Amino acid sequence: MTTALTPRRRPGTPARRSARRRPPLLLGAATLLVVLLALLGPLVPPHSPTAQLAAPFQRPDGAFPLGTDVLGRDVASRVLGGGRTIVLTALAGTAAAGAVGMAAGVLAAMVSRRLGDLLVRCVDALAVLPPLLVVLVLAAGFPGSGAAVVAAVALATAPFSTRVLRAAADTVLASGYVEAARARGDTRRAVLRHDVLPNIAGPALVDTALRLVASLHLTATAGFLGLGPGGAAPDWGRMVSENAPGATLAAAPFLAPALLLVLLSVCVGLLAGRLADTVGRGAA
Amino acid sequence: MNLLAFAGRRLAGAAVLLVLLSAAVFAVTAVLPGDAVSAVAGVDASAAQRADVRAGLGLDRPAAERYAAWAADAVRGDLGHGFVGERPVTDILATRLPNSLLLAGLTLAVTAPLATLLGLWTGLRGGGTADRVVSTGAQVLAAIPEFVVAALLVAVLAVWAGVLPRVSVVPLGGTPLDAPRALVLPVLTLSAVGLAVATRLLRVSVADAAATPYCEAARLGGVRGIRLAVRHVLPNAAGPAVQALTLTTGALVGSAVVVENVFDYPGIGRELQLAVAARDVPMVQGIATALVAVMLLVLLLGDVCARLIGAREGHGR
Repeated sequence: MTTALTPRRRPGTPARRSARRRPPLLLGAATLLVVLLALLGPLVPPHSPTAQLAAPFQRPDGAFPLGTDVLGRDVASRVLGGGRTIVLTALAGTAAAGAVGMAAGVLAAMVSRRLGDLLVRCVDALAVLPPLLVVLVLAAGFPGSGAAVVAAVALATAPFSTRVLRAAADTVLASGYVEAARARGDTRRAVLRHDVLPNIAGPALVDTALRLVASLHLTATAGFLGLGPGGAAPDWGRMVSENAPGATLAAAPFLAPALLLVLLSVCVGLLAGRLADTVGRGAA
Repeated sequence: MNLLAFAGRRLAGAAVLLVLLSAAVFAVTAVLPGDAVSAVAGVDASAAQRADVRAGLGLDRPAAERYAAWAADAVRGDLGHGFVGERPVTDILATRLPNSLLLAGLTLAVTAPLATLLGLWTGLRGGGTADRVVSTGAQVLAAIPEFVVAALLVAVLAVWAGVLPRVSVVPLGGTPLDAPRALVLPVLTLSAVGLAVATRLLRVSVADAAATPYCEAARLGGVRGIRLAVRHVLPNAAGPAVQALTLTTGALVGSAVVVENVFDYPGIGRELQLAVAARDVPMVQGIATALVAVMLLVLLLGDVCARLIGAREGHGR
């Protein structure tokens, strides 16, 4: 009744609409660039990223394009080498969270309602924990392990996936064609494979993209707090914490990794937002 | 009466959850390989020394028994002693937690009104330019890790402009209120992050409230602008808004841990990170359990507030 009175959204002008529907090429290119830099950077460092080569906090010059860091290591080499762990850990955490969330969400939708509610409630109990607390506690349990960070990222982000995917699967299971499939005697497995999974792929993709944003956020923070594999290996998050005390002496050693982290998280975040918009609109 | 019963039931639920989660924390820190023994005895201790330390710490007993003993003490207000410096965990909580709560309180005082304003402004103009700019800005800000936001603020305000201290140096034995300048950067960082989270949540509740028949009727009756926002939209959006702010406060618990570490702020998050770095297991258990309790309390308060607002408006269940 009310929707007839006013549209929920003020319709944009056609020109603006088409601009928003255009694929985000610039954003995609920027994301690709920074991810490639992170992944391939370790292959082409000008110097060893862990060797002490000069006095600490040297100004940028020919030999060291970004100067040297708190221990006199080459900042440019460390910047090139410091993104891979973050990207790979975040991807591994997202994959693990996606798998757990998908399995738990679909399971909760397929079993009886009471059992499903119970499962979701257990998962909700986990969601009470601040994600960072999970990371810190797991890191205390497994000191210096990268797997702990992956597990913590998965554990911290999976509860949301479970909820979202259960809701998505519930909608599919309540639809007419699933009823028809069941009526003609399809097994649960066939319904799962041919009806549920293909139809929740869209929401699952969006959800995974949003988890990746959270995952990058947590992984970088874990690096900053010195959790996960320690030692001298470069890591953008840790570089910020190492070089922040010398910020007055040299800005590049902590600004370069900080700005790269901004670029990475903002690009991935905006892309995920666009994806959610597009898929959400397509489904509506 | 109904509200009391509701609060009681929620309180019981939260208590059960606290027990379960503290057991989980205990299990992860006490049973898994991050063994407290090597943290205390040193890496190159002999097997006999390790066995001694193990027995001294009571680690030779079964984990369930240890948890029961720990929980029984915890109920009586004794969370044990940290390994490092033998400090009682409750002392640390008593001195550091208020500092963190101060930080959270100030942040909330900045965030809540600003987020309400921005939420109203954008929610009432769904789809407009202002809405898109603010929403995208919030999305961008929410994606950036807190420590990067903090580092950039430090770079601009403390290093280049030189107007604020880079770390929060608090006089020995004093509270952060004795050095108000030290609070500015941490509160600013947390507020920026909290604002990004809260604005997005509030925008949704405002947009929902603005679409109700009630607001529609008011708008058709010629009510506009601030009057529409304050008299008609805000009361309707208040319930979900309180829950949005609750969620933001919950998220602040995690952000505060990071921000305290950036600025060396003497809060509970800083202690937690130090304890994790030193593998001080009792300290990690105590602080993590306390933080979970704070979190549950915040959620409980948010639920009760939302319920109160709902009851007053007459659409509580």
